[in-house]
Amino acid sequence: MTGLLDLPSAKSEAWRWSDPSAIAAAREIERPATCIDRPTMFVQVEGPKLVFIDGYYDDDWSEPEGFELVPIDSESGHPLARFANGQGYGLRFERDSAVTLQILHVTAGGEDQLPLRIVASDDSAVSIVETFVGAGWANRLTRLELGRSARIMRSVRLLQDEGFVSLRDEAEVGEGASLVSTFLAAGGAGTRIDGEIRLAGEGAYGEAGGALLARGRQRHDANFVVRHDRPSGTSRQVWRSVADDHAACSIAARVEVARGAQKTDGEQSLKGLLLSRAATINAKPELEIFADDVKCAHGATVGELDRDALFYMASRGVPDAEAKALLTRAFVADAIDRIGEEKVREAFHSNVEGWFGGRS
Amino acid sequence: MLRIENLHATVADKPILKGLSLAVNAGEVHAIMGPNGAGKSTLAYVLGGRPGYEVTEGSASFDGRDLLDMAPDERAAAGLFLGFQYPVEIPGVSNVQFLRTALNAQRRARGEAEISAGDFLRLTREQGDALGVSMDMMKRNVNVGFSGGEKKRNEMVQMGIIDPRLAVLDETDSGLDIDALRVVADGINRIMRRPDKAVLLITHYQRLLDLVVPDFVHVLAEGRIVRSGGPELAQLLEREGYGEIAA
Repeated sequence: MTGLLDLPSAKSEAWRWSDPSAIAAAREIERPATCIDRPTMFVQVEGPKLVFIDGYYDDDWSEPEGFELVPIDSESGHPLARFANGQGYGLRFERDSAVTLQILHVTAGGEDQLPLRIVASDDSAVSIVETFVGAGWANRLTRLELGRSARIMRSVRLLQDEGFVSLRDEAEVGEGASLVSTFLAAGGAGTRIDGEIRLAGEGAYGEAGGALLARGRQRHDANFVVRHDRPSGTSRQVWRSVADDHAACSIAARVEVARGAQKTDGEQSLKGLLLSRAATINAKPELEIFADDVKCAHGATVGELDRDALFYMASRGVPDAEAKALLTRAFVADAIDRIGEEKVREAFHSNVEGWFGGRS
Repeated sequence: MLRIENLHATVADKPILKGLSLAVNAGEVHAIMGPNGAGKSTLAYVLGGRPGYEVTEGSASFDGRDLLDMAPDERAAAGLFLGFQYPVEIPGVSNVQFLRTALNAQRRARGEAEISAGDFLRLTREQGDALGVSMDMMKRNVNVGFSGGEKKRNEMVQMGIIDPRLAVLDETDSGLDIDALRVVADGINRIMRRPDKAVLLITHYQRLLDLVVPDFVHVLAEGRIVRSGGPELAQLLEREGYGEIAA
């Protein structure tokens, strides 16, 4: 697991808030996969369950229920995703299919590289729940292709307790199709979430957002671009970040509207909450618009918990720590509530809860 | 029940309370009246323990315990309720969730068992009905989008659910029309007019005191109580204004 990596430099704009050296450190962590209590890692919903250990499909632990994986070869020029290039797995959802698929990614120390290709055929409706656990460096490249009127609701939990998780999404959303990706970083590892959603068909819908919770010296970093290539597309980017202690959360969200992508409706809402004076939140909303008939709104705020609300709650008997947790949960709920499936949404909320429970 | 002696308090280093003394016994309703800037709200916040309100001298005890030594949530668990002049909005937290958290935290602090979900909903419905606050409103976020009058009624629903021993109500009558005033006054009488409870009613106007008749009326001016009497003092103030009496 040693050997030098040619990691992106924090000197470049897209990586200035990142800490690539954490990746090198994460590769040195050793941890057996048997530490993972697998059944507790799935949301209690019906549907196929796939387990990958260190980037390899695990037959014993998976319950594919007839769902088939096909081998793929991937190539990405992305500075981190390129490490995951090579052999991976393809997941294909046939026309009109409707399913909730769960994927558990277990990283047993060292490095865990995996490219995935997810294809949702025309008119399919798919919910994909991905959970990252373990320790080490998990590095994913996910290609998503959505056919006409296909729908993917993708909910990703980064719960790895140590190390680093880096995700790279490259999505292409077809005519009238919809991709909603919600991420939750509520573990002990550092994270970098990178993504590019291309609204390639008319009337496509793309959404990327989530909640990043950091404490100690943890760093979470999200960098998403939604590109409107065709008219009448809609995009939403709702991110909430919470930083305690000396932690840092950074979000760069960008909307690009190509010439001719008229009637685009884009919205970004980036909000940060500082729980400590030594914590850092960075928020960078960006718009690049080459069409003239578009509606794009963006907002970025960073603040602290409302002192009046804290006193109001205390005056009703709610102890300080509980009041802070309640307000913080309310703060991130905007992002988690984008998840449509109730059981999945609840599971994510309880992971947020667990994050507060894990406070020292 | 509540004993305040020679209380001095500052806000942002500015002296507001300057030697206030007051004793409230169980079964009594005391009204505190006074002109703007007299220190009425400061008294309420000091009793509630709001950060930034610093006691520089004097004492306040509640059932013999040093009130000033307790954190705000401990005061609540001990039986103190502070009704806010401007109830705070809490986006993302529902009334029901907030109150259940509050009630259970108080119960835990007193070593009591938590209330069951069923009992809590019954209690909420009962108190809401009495104050014209629907279950629908109780499921909405705390005070968000509530009118001034709704916020004040919501304060009373909270008081009914929490069932405190001492209520300090800071201008609970402000912003209420005459019908809402009656509803709120009925709430105060119903919840707090008991031999083992007491109320400190802070108000600007006499009209609330026609509906919640106090046993004692005190005039607060420049940080001290300058005059005390029975309900007739409130009527005198209404007729003659604070000018003469508070001077």
